[in-house]
Amino acid sequence: MLAGIDYFIVIAYIIGMLLLGLYFKKFVNSSEDYFLGGKSLPFWAIGMSIVVSDIGALDFVGVSGQAYRYGISVGNFDWVGSVPAMLLAAFIFIPYFWRGGMYTIPEYLGRRYNQKVRTIASVTWILFFALDLGVLFWASAVLLNVLMGWPIWISIISTAGVVGLYTYFGGITAVIMTDVVQFVIMFIGGFALVFLSLYEVGGWDNMVDKIATMGPEYRNHFDIIQPQDTKSPFPWTGILFGLTFVMANAYMIGNQSIVQRCLTAKNEWHAKASMIFGSALKMFIPILVLFPGLMAVVVHPGLADGDQALPMMIKSILPPGLVGLMFAAFFAGLMSSVDSLLNSTATLFTKDIYEPFIKKGADDKHYLKVGQITTLVLLVIGVATSPISSDFPGIYVAIQTFMSYFQGPIFAILLLGIFWKRTTEWGGLSALVIGIGFAIYLNVFKEQFFTIEDPFLYISWWSFLLGAIINVTVSLLTKKHTDEQLQGLVFSSKILVKNKKV
Amino acid sequence: MFNFDWLSGVSQETAKMIFLSLYGVIGLLVLLLPTDYVYEGIAKEDRHWWNNLKLWSIAVLSILASIYYHF
Repeated sequence: MLAGIDYFIVIAYIIGMLLLGLYFKKFVNSSEDYFLGGKSLPFWAIGMSIVVSDIGALDFVGVSGQAYRYGISVGNFDWVGSVPAMLLAAFIFIPYFWRGGMYTIPEYLGRRYNQKVRTIASVTWILFFALDLGVLFWASAVLLNVLMGWPIWISIISTAGVVGLYTYFGGITAVIMTDVVQFVIMFIGGFALVFLSLYEVGGWDNMVDKIATMGPEYRNHFDIIQPQDTKSPFPWTGILFGLTFVMANAYMIGNQSIVQRCLTAKNEWHAKASMIFGSALKMFIPILVLFPGLMAVVVHPGLADGDQALPMMIKSILPPGLVGLMFAAFFAGLMSSVDSLLNSTATLFTKDIYEPFIKKGADDKHYLKVGQITTLVLLVIGVATSPISSDFPGIYVAIQTFMSYFQGPIFAILLLGIFWKRTTEWGGLSALVIGIGFAIYLNVFKEQFFTIEDPFLYISWWSFLLGAIINVTVSLLTKKHTDEQLQGLVFSSKILVKNKKV
Repeated sequence: MFNFDWLSGVSQETAKMIFLSLYGVIGLLVLLLPTDYVYEGIAKEDRHWWNNLKLWSIAVLSILASIYYHF
């Protein structure tokens, strides 16, 4: 499927990424440089990096497929499922984390609750990220193989080699600055497909008219708000309670790979602005990943598998050259996801596990080296374990789904931890353990409790609610923290009124 | 209860109004933030209207609300 010019574009892109990433090696002299970019990065780079690392090669295909099946309501995830949460993060949580000089979210939980909460949260994230890495390598390589005929092991080795080298040497600065280029590539490739597809279907209005005449199953295709009794996974109740109130906030506030980027900002204004700028960019993502799926309903009606929508559109619409650019955009999605996982997991391991439990009080160069070696070890584990995914085809979805169940309880303890002084260490610990257990229980017995086909939005809401109730109840029954212990960890209106340092 | 059956009587139009109201409330809360707080990190003499993060937020929320109003 690839022509000579397409190969040239892809290879030039990969080499360019490697050289750009390695350029940032000279800025890494300490662990703060490696994990927080020396707190020197501008808002626009961080904002772009947040957005691009959130979109992987698999999301392009998956979201287009869902748009083909369910219509525009899939866009809720990048619109209401991002913007309000990013504003909350920008104005309330990020300033606390940034001023506190924190490296990880579990570090905040450790200071606010206790070391056990920190360790549980950190180990959970490390396990998921490490597992996700191998699965992501394999699933993306299979996708690239199906789409472009690119051999699976060449995808894995080239991605691992390039990303591994620049992440090992350049740390998070290399990750963020390569993300900026990956963002530009992704947007150029994505918008090229959207504009050519729009031309193919005769414009937006023509597409809407054609889909409206295709039958009753397409009646709600352009309704962003789906009724409560819809059979799709996106009823408005799930979007409001599960996505807007819980999952979006947990993702933007409790996800290490997102928050760590904001902590690299050169000052507090840049930290806040990065989230708000990112939220503005986020609103374009549905245009890139959702619209091709909608237009495929007109160009390729009756596909049995919605996930074929995007590959079919690429094959039928893009000319040589732009196919290569689109392929580079897929690669960009894969690379940005992998470099985020590597750097975040290395940070979590070094700061939350190695430093407190394995070697306290070592010099800074030692922790820098540990971070770099962890990056390398993770990469080797990711590549070595990636073929396992071929024996378990549902493992990618299983891991992503399970991660979503972790988010309700983690957001419950983060929210109460920052807004309610009375929350105690035992409240936080019990909420985390029982909340995760409850989410697993609801998932195992979901047929008994839920009527929609994939109730992950509802599960995240109910596990959040139970986590919050447990946290409040146990906290009221246990000894409260002193004001000294809570210094700089609990939201105070003084930060707004007098703008005092927390 | 787990499926929010008790909200089945709420129409799609009403649900859309709930979302639009939510954006309005968030916008109001953003406007209530002290101006000094949103400029924190920029020296007083370098503060301009285009650095005002309240304006950025209101712009983003306005676009979001118009998307939900249209669809």
